Amino acid sequence: MDAVVIQDVSKRFGNTRAVNQLTLSVQPGEILGFLGTNGAGKTTTIKMLLGLIVPDGGSIRVLGGDPREASARSRIGFMPETAAYYPFLNLHELLFFYGGLCGMSRAAVRERADGLIERVGLGAAAGRLLKTYSKGMLQRAGIVQALLHDPELLILDEPLTGLDPLARIHFRDLILELREQGKTVFFSSHELTEAELICDRVAILKQGELVVCGAMHAIAGDGERNLERIFLNVLDTDTAKKGVLA
Amino acid sequence: MKQWLLQVAALSELSVLELYRRKDLVVVFLLAIVILLPAAFLAPFGVSGASRYISELAMLLIWLFSIIIGLGVSARLFPPEFESRTIYPLLAKPVARGTVVFGKYLGALTASVSALLVFYLAYAVLVGVRQGEWFTPILFQAVLLHVGFLIIITALTLLGSLVMTPSAALTLSALTVVGMLVFGQRLPALAAAQTGARRWVLYAIHWFAPHVEFFDLRQRLVHAWPCVEWRVCLAVLVYAVCYAGLCLVLAGWAFRRKRL
Repeated sequence: MDAVVIQDVSKRFGNTRAVNQLTLSVQPGEILGFLGTNGAGKTTTIKMLLGLIVPDGGSIRVLGGDPREASARSRIGFMPETAAYYPFLNLHELLFFYGGLCGMSRAAVRERADGLIERVGLGAAAGRLLKTYSKGMLQRAGIVQALLHDPELLILDEPLTGLDPLARIHFRDLILELREQGKTVFFSSHELTEAELICDRVAILKQGELVVCGAMHAIAGDGERNLERIFLNVLDTDTAKKGVLA
Repeated sequence: MKQWLLQVAALSELSVLELYRRKDLVVVFLLAIVILLPAAFLAPFGVSGASRYISELAMLLIWLFSIIIGLGVSARLFPPEFESRTIYPLLAKPVARGTVVFGKYLGALTASVSALLVFYLAYAVLVGVRQGEWFTPILFQAVLLHVGFLIIITALTLLGSLVMTPSAALTLSALTVVGMLVFGQRLPALAAAQTGARRWVLYAIHWFAPHVEFFDLRQRLVHAWPCVEWRVCLAVLVYAVCYAGLCLVLAGWAFRRKRL
């Protein structure tokens, strides 16, 4: 059974077509890079995967269930694009809060959180209020809250925003480690180089429609082009039109 | 059930922590001092009834501050979640939207009631020191019904904050609460004196607006009148719970329909 099945899904906001007849699946234990320019429909798709908004047409199954049901969401970890958490809490309190929402006792949260906090290098800052955190630290706090309840599927919306090069390497290692543990990762990003390094497959969205989906070696064709070139090519940008990529 | 309780506890704790961390508690204590100071320094100068006058002033301030805190805390339960986008990771967790509404409401109520208890403690000390009457049954009833008042106004404002802008919700709730405190008891008589559409508008207000005047025991408390019958007290509290329950059901419905 696929971890994520998106079948003919469409979503409109007024006259704007955000997602149009999107069909996509993600296999268990796979890292899928979900790519596209701003406004391509990535975040709308993620919101539908989390049951936050309802598609106008089509169906979505996540880990065999409807994401609008709490039982399905209990197996999903989500890291939002904007690392906005409650500035008046410290990291421990934030994790107690999210753990409580997942039905975890304080003891269970403490047991699980300590290792994760150390893993992302926030051990020394865990007692500080989040309003004192840098953007990169908030991103790392975001990955901890997403992993807190040990989810089977991880949905990451632009997770590399604000991370310095070292933190990116650590983050990449963490994602690969999660794959080793059998987790499925749905990874939305603008960072083509990072996506190329860690993703098993990529899906490229353009104006709400899926234009490319497949393994890197399969979509590259001649085997020489990198993801950046493929991305520019399929999006048919001005650069591509000028024949730079020819 | 255990998971639901853990979720409600987490959501309530968040609202209470927010009140404390945003230094609102300091404001609460400052307000308590504002209540105590006149009583502590204004001597009656032998004028009969001056102590009661001071008590009445203190009670008026308690009601005023409790309205400000109750409305202020509940009006900002949801709007900041949408503005700062913390609503997304929250709703991505396995929690039902109805539970989010209820948990946050409970937090706002706990925060408001804790502030109210500080005020009444200050009032009790004031009355005890000046008049030698410590924690009378009527004071207990006044506190209990004041909690009933907060049960209603926090639910009403929460509902308003989900269907209109925070400032509009705050203004409308404040107008409703103050209007009903002043005119609530006289509404049927006012309606009966009118004709045509005005009569039906007043009757509609009478039937649908929250009768917060039921919870106001200030006069009984200040003038040391006898307690209200306990069954009446209980009936009024049941009314508060039912009215708040209806507001929360509507708030849950509005929250489910809210565009994310």
